[in-house]
Amino acid sequence: MQILDVNTESTPAVLEQAVNTLLSGGLIIFPTETTYGAGVDATNPEAVQKLLTFKSRREGKPLSIAVSGQEMAEKYVELNDQAKILYRQFLPGPVTVVSNVVTGSVAPGVASEFGTLGVRIPEYQLVLDMVKMLGKPITATSANGSGKPRPYSVETIFKHLSDKQASLVDLVIDAGTLPSNPPSTVIDTTLSTPVTVRSGKIAVDQADNNDHNTLVSTSEDDTLSLAGKRCLMHWGDITEKGLIIGLNGPLGVGKTVFAKGVAKFLGINEKITSPTYSYIQEYDFKRHDTTGKLYHLDMWKVDSKEAFERLELAELMKPGNIVVVEWFDQVTLWLTELNNQAKLGFISIDIKQDGNNRIFKIYD
Amino acid sequence: MIRGPILAIDTSCDDTSAAVTIGRYVLSNVIASQTELHRPYGGVFPTVAKQAHRENIAPTVDLAMKKARVKWADIKAVAVTQGPGLAPALEVGIEYAQELASQYQKPLIPVNHIEGHILSVLALPKPQRKSWRDLSTTMPKIKNALSVVVSGGHTEFVLIEKLGKYKVLGQTLDDAAGECLDKIGRMLNLGYPAGPVIEEFAKLGDPKAIIFPLPLTTTKTYDLSYSGLKTFARNKLEEMGGVEVLKKQGIYDFAASTQYAVFRHIMYKLSKLLETENVSQVWLGGGVAANATLRRMLRETIRNSKGQVTNPKLLVPYTKKLCMDNAGMIGVAATEITTAINTSFERKPRLKLA
Repeated sequence: MQILDVNTESTPAVLEQAVNTLLSGGLIIFPTETTYGAGVDATNPEAVQKLLTFKSRREGKPLSIAVSGQEMAEKYVELNDQAKILYRQFLPGPVTVVSNVVTGSVAPGVASEFGTLGVRIPEYQLVLDMVKMLGKPITATSANGSGKPRPYSVETIFKHLSDKQASLVDLVIDAGTLPSNPPSTVIDTTLSTPVTVRSGKIAVDQADNNDHNTLVSTSEDDTLSLAGKRCLMHWGDITEKGLIIGLNGPLGVGKTVFAKGVAKFLGINEKITSPTYSYIQEYDFKRHDTTGKLYHLDMWKVDSKEAFERLELAELMKPGNIVVVEWFDQVTLWLTELNNQAKLGFISIDIKQDGNNRIFKIYD
Repeated sequence: MIRGPILAIDTSCDDTSAAVTIGRYVLSNVIASQTELHRPYGGVFPTVAKQAHRENIAPTVDLAMKKARVKWADIKAVAVTQGPGLAPALEVGIEYAQELASQYQKPLIPVNHIEGHILSVLALPKPQRKSWRDLSTTMPKIKNALSVVVSGGHTEFVLIEKLGKYKVLGQTLDDAAGECLDKIGRMLNLGYPAGPVIEEFAKLGDPKAIIFPLPLTTTKTYDLSYSGLKTFARNKLEEMGGVEVLKKQGIYDFAASTQYAVFRHIMYKLSKLLETENVSQVWLGGGVAANATLRRMLRETIRNSKGQVTNPKLLVPYTKKLCMDNAGMIGVAATEITTAINTSFERKPRLKLA
């Protein structure tokens, strides 16, 4: 193992040595604007294996890579709009943006088992130059063993390494004690359709047809009663077939308020909170002589047919039941398909905000 | 009252947890995280959660027993979370607890998950060099402590009249505090879950950069509401030209202002509450309880309440693990339960505090 002190060695000499070590499959410890990192050529399978042995007990945690700029990043990950905005806003800097990996572009074990990969562009010139010279990304995991203190100095790193781990290190670039900046913040862009795109969906739907009613609500109470009245109109559907109510509209527009109105109409006294984390909330109701269940669904995160099928919604679609679906446009296709068999009554509602008013376009 | 080690299980949400406790002491507290497993679905997927709990539960319980260094013969009862939580997930824990209870002939104690969060502040680490056999099993006398439970799924003010006797004084009418942070984070393009990113970014921003409204100032109750803050954030973003045009610092400031607004709402209602209710001490529990800004703001609010709180020291769980969903707190909560020991009970996804 060799140690190069950046304060005494010339930068070109350090860079050359580092790049040569990386090219020959070596493991280097290098400074960044957050902590010391452990780096190998992310495209070299043996080098990556060596790094995984060095980190030990990773339990399947994915690594991340450091690149020199967005152009390089795009060879290894697919950047969606959300990711591109984040690159522009935060990189280079202490943020790791997770995207879907370009298959086969990095060595096994670098991307997660789900095919996602975190990318950093460190705000640290030496590392940027090193990666640029190498022409390939390096792994950018912190230089401590799993579960050990964050590495801000070369001394702390080696204090917590076993002899075996230490023997795997080929080169250390020593920049002294780094300022104790926290590790980079990880932002995962693989799950979310950008909100900006989502809210745009409503705007596109401008063409006024006669297939819907437009109602305006000026207050929360107004919305509650509007929801109740709609249920009353469809009471026959509810008792005979069951009813699906699909709700669309951006975050904070009042989809859950509408759901509360449905619950109030059904005489449900429990507080209706949004099912963001649970996907489905279930409530029993009894109105007049009809008993049934209200299912309150949030489909924001359901973005594939496989995920949709896991919810086993067919079980809920029965006479007497009301299924209120927030973020309905995420699942419209699949749910309509299911309903071709179940044949429940069906309403879809687009909610828009206009000043303090809410505009409901109801298709029923 | 249980005078000996309790094996506790919690499968209320996405993590499988098992612990061994005695009185207030936590002998072991194991959390098998499913976070990685859930990532492709962006959160807890009920059917996936159930499957993973099934795979994790036996090894998690075994590890908790091993770490605590107790034998089944030493265990005096099995405690398990009955609710609130995700129905299919709760089911797995309850079924397994019932199996264990009948196999080893132990009483079975159903525990309310929120009671667990409330009493998590009473938990103590096991003193080193002391055998669990020498530890006291008595619980402290509590009178009129106020618990503030803040997590992804809950935001509540609960008065502990005495251990086992609770009164919910206020709670959220729509989103929980953590959920609001998450949703505004989504609007800011911060991925999912965005709550933790907001918390990180808030450290770098100006909390007064954007002044959010203070919700429910005209209602007399101690209930909270976060839907207005969400709407405000969305309008504000649009007015600023959309998230795309914001610079790095603009996002830090938005994150800090959001977090401040979410916590300020809690502080406002808490200070009103402290003006009228007799409170001996304020406790903090739940996933967001680990947030340093929240703790600082609570301490300030207690200080400003001018002696209304008998003991002004804010009580928080001794470790971050106890803020998360964990079985350690379930064991501590089970210690005090004298009634309701029962071998046949069902999951209650929306169980209320008694």
